[in-house]
This record gives sequence, structure tokens and C-alpha cells, in this order.
Amino acid sequence: MVDVDSFITEKVTEIEDAVGDENAVIALSGGVDSSTAAALAYEAIGDQLTAVYVDTGLMRKGETEQIRETFSYMDSLRIVDAQERFLDALGETTDPEEKRHIIGEQFIREFETVAKDVDADYLVQGTIYPDRIESEGTIKSHHNVGGLPEVVDFEGIVEPMRDLYKDEVREVARELDLDALVAERMPFPGPGLAVRIIGEITAEKLEVAREANHVVEEELEEYEPWQALAAVIGKATGVKGDNRVHGWVVSVRSVESRDGMTARAQEIDWETLQRIQSRITGSHENVARVVYDVTHKPPATIEYE
Amino acid sequence: MTKIDVVDNHGQFTHLEQRALRDMGIDTELIDNETPPEEIDADGLVLSGGPDIDDIGRCSEYLDLDIPVLGICLGMQIIADELGGRIGGGEYGGYADVTVELLEESDPLTGSLYPETRVWASHADEVKELPEGFELTGKSDVCGVESMSNADRDLYGVQWHPEVAHTEEGEELFENFRAICEE
Repeated sequence: MVDVDSFITEKVTEIEDAVGDENAVIALSGGVDSSTAAALAYEAIGDQLTAVYVDTGLMRKGETEQIRETFSYMDSLRIVDAQERFLDALGETTDPEEKRHIIGEQFIREFETVAKDVDADYLVQGTIYPDRIESEGTIKSHHNVGGLPEVVDFEGIVEPMRDLYKDEVREVARELDLDALVAERMPFPGPGLAVRIIGEITAEKLEVAREANHVVEEELEEYEPWQALAAVIGKATGVKGDNRVHGWVVSVRSVESRDGMTARAQEIDWETLQRIQSRITGSHENVARVVYDVTHKPPATIEYE
Repeated sequence: MTKIDVVDNHGQFTHLEQRALRDMGIDTELIDNETPPEEIDADGLVLSGGPDIDDIGRCSEYLDLDIPVLGICLGMQIIADELGGRIGGGEYGGYADVTVELLEESDPLTGSLYPETRVWASHADEVKELPEGFELTGKSDVCGVESMSNADRDLYGVQWHPEVAHTEEGEELFENFRAICEE
């Protein structure tokens, strides 16, 4: 386990030395990694850092408001409203890697605008160790690795947490007094709800995914999952009020893990599962059924795409 | 300080092997599998897992360095393949939660875990025939050779992943390997 005190001192100095008197930008996703990297960088260079949060429309319920609140101490925080642009860019794309790619590209465009506007010379990223391993391999591509530097001529990229695992990042976040909600927050993928929707992204599916994820996080809190989520995985037949429904299938997944590298599907009691099912199908007439995913990682990954 | 290096065969968990050793206070370095054997200066080596038996660099040469070697997953298959054993596809993909039955209470690597241990595994291929001089030390319902040892040459292999958090006694296995390296 990383020694938190010396890590913070060392990284603050490293960021100061790297950036000097220039300007830097960082992308905030709402997750613990980028939040921690931003807090570290802000400690090092203050308002020379512009933290940028892009509301892609693929975020969890209440996420944007929470970011606004947590980072209100940074005068330089920018919130970009880009929901329509992301949905337009995704169009009818169904291939998972293609979706990740489009989202990555759109992120780059949004950041490019801000980076040029504030005259940023440096890019700070919350990349952590497993991001690099999975990107070096062929398992999944991560939007926050690479991309932006090819279009913006940065003098340098600073990745203060590149050698840390998630559990170590949380230790650092706690030490930095980051809002408990952020420090203990469940991991959330960069491409957001897009990877929790199989196939085409539509406003209708997004609405189902967002509400279902909210229900799952709320109901499973007491199980202290590493990650609990809901994904819209397809369509199936159901019957509601004597009418046949061809509605969405929502898959609920809840896993425990130390570092995200391996994961065990959690054993959830029947009443809780039934309550989740009932809340999701009951408040969404276009959801036909709810299933629970029992697969560990490996062979499955934690997220669906 | 004991130094145990991890040879990278490009497995998804390779870095967790380094982390497990680091967390135990062992001096450890991740080295490329093309590193010339004469440049290796360690008290023991871990051969990591990986996706491809044809992409193992100079791993076979490291078996002649006369230091203890622990092969993990593909790393064990390398040892078996190189020393005259046989590897092949498993009938059942060995994935996630597996209970391994340990067979040798006196084995320096796995003996302390006797009689069984719960592990996390992820592999398609497996060792079918042990090389000469090796003893079968562990098996499971899904894989006939879960672990093997040649205590005379201090060459050891496990098919599962002691480095991942879900393997229950992973750290103890690394502690046993540390003891072997310190002998």
C-alpha cells in the first residue's frame, strides 16, 4: 500500500515542478480518480489549474449538481453543457468500441475548446494503473488515455496517479479531505451510462438506465459493493395490466473487489432483489423484466461494454 | 533485502504480482521477458502469466540461472513445456472461483495450504503431463494439474493466480516462495 503522506508531498512538488508558471487543465469525470488528481493539482498550482467537467448527458442522476458543489472551492471550475452534442455524435452507433471511440473524440473536442480558451500548456490526467494495463492489452480502450494530446499541442502531460490502484487512490482522496461521497464513490466508467446500454443510445434507454442505476445504488448501499449498476441489455416480452409489453430488460450487477482486477458477484437477498425489480418495473412501463447477473470477473468484466 | 523479480509475459495480472511482493516488503522489479539472463540479479524469479506461449521471450533460459523460479499460469506452462512435460487445452475453462485440493503437506510452496485452498483462476490451456522430476502438488475438478513442484531444483508452478485479491491464501503462497528464495 502506498504511503499516503509522502505520496501527496512528492506529487504536489512534482506537479509544481512540471507546470511551473504555466496553465494546466484537467478533465473531471465525477469519479474518484479525476477528482483526486484535480485536488492534488489544485493543491500544487491553485488557479493555474482549470478543472473542466463536461456534462455528456451520460452521467448518473444528480452527478452534475454534486460536482458543482464538491468543487465549488475552485474558482476556475468550468461546467460544459454538451448533452445534445454527445447524443448527436453517437447517432445510431451500436458497436461498443465504436461508441467508446465517439465519446472519446467528442470529449477531446469539448476540452480542446476550453484548453485553447485558457491557454493551457499542460494536461493533468487521473489515469491510474489498471487503465494503463487494460489499454496496453486488448480488453477495452479507455477514453482518458491518449487522444487529446494529438489535437492540442501541450507542452506536457502530468499523470500523478499513474502507478496507483483504485484502493490506493481512495486512501489519497481521504487524506486530501475530499468529500466522503467522492472518496467512497463507486467507480463509474468514463464513457458513463453509454457502456451500460447495449446497442444504440437513445434518450429513452438513457432515462431507464439512469433511473435504474439510481435505484440499484440506493438499494444495495448496505452491501457495500465495490460497484453496483444496472444495464439496459435488450428487449423481451412482458405483460402489464392485461397488455402485452415488449419492453427493456434491465440487468442488475453488484460486485465486491479490491482493485477491479478481479471481482466476485455479490449474494443479494431475495427481498432486496424483488424490491429492486419492483421499483424499476413499477416506475417504468417500458421495462419488461429485471435480471441479476451472477458472473464473476473473470470470465465477465464488471461493466457490460 | 530479498530481491524477487517478476518477468512480464504480458498478463493482465502481472502488475499485481509485483504489487503483492512489494506489499510484503520484498525488493522487486518488473522485467521484460527479453532481458538477457546474465543481467538478472535476483534471489528468485516469478514468471508471470500471459496470453501466448509463443511470446515468452527468453523465459526458458531463466530456468538455468540456479535461483528459485515460481511460474504462474502461463509461467507454469512454460516450465512444463520447456522441461519435457506436455501442455494442451483444458476441457473446461478454468475461470474464477476454484477449490484446489492440495496433495503434498510437505511441499515447500503449497504444503502450508494443505489440504485445500480457494483460488481465482483464468486459463484455457493447462499442463497435461508433468516434466520429469516434478511432483503433482495440487489438482481441482476443472484442472488436473493446478500446481507442481521440483523442490530439488527449486522450480515451482501454480495454474491459479495467487496475486489477485480473491485468491484466499495468495499472500501465504508468496511468503512460502520468499522463504524458498531466502534458504
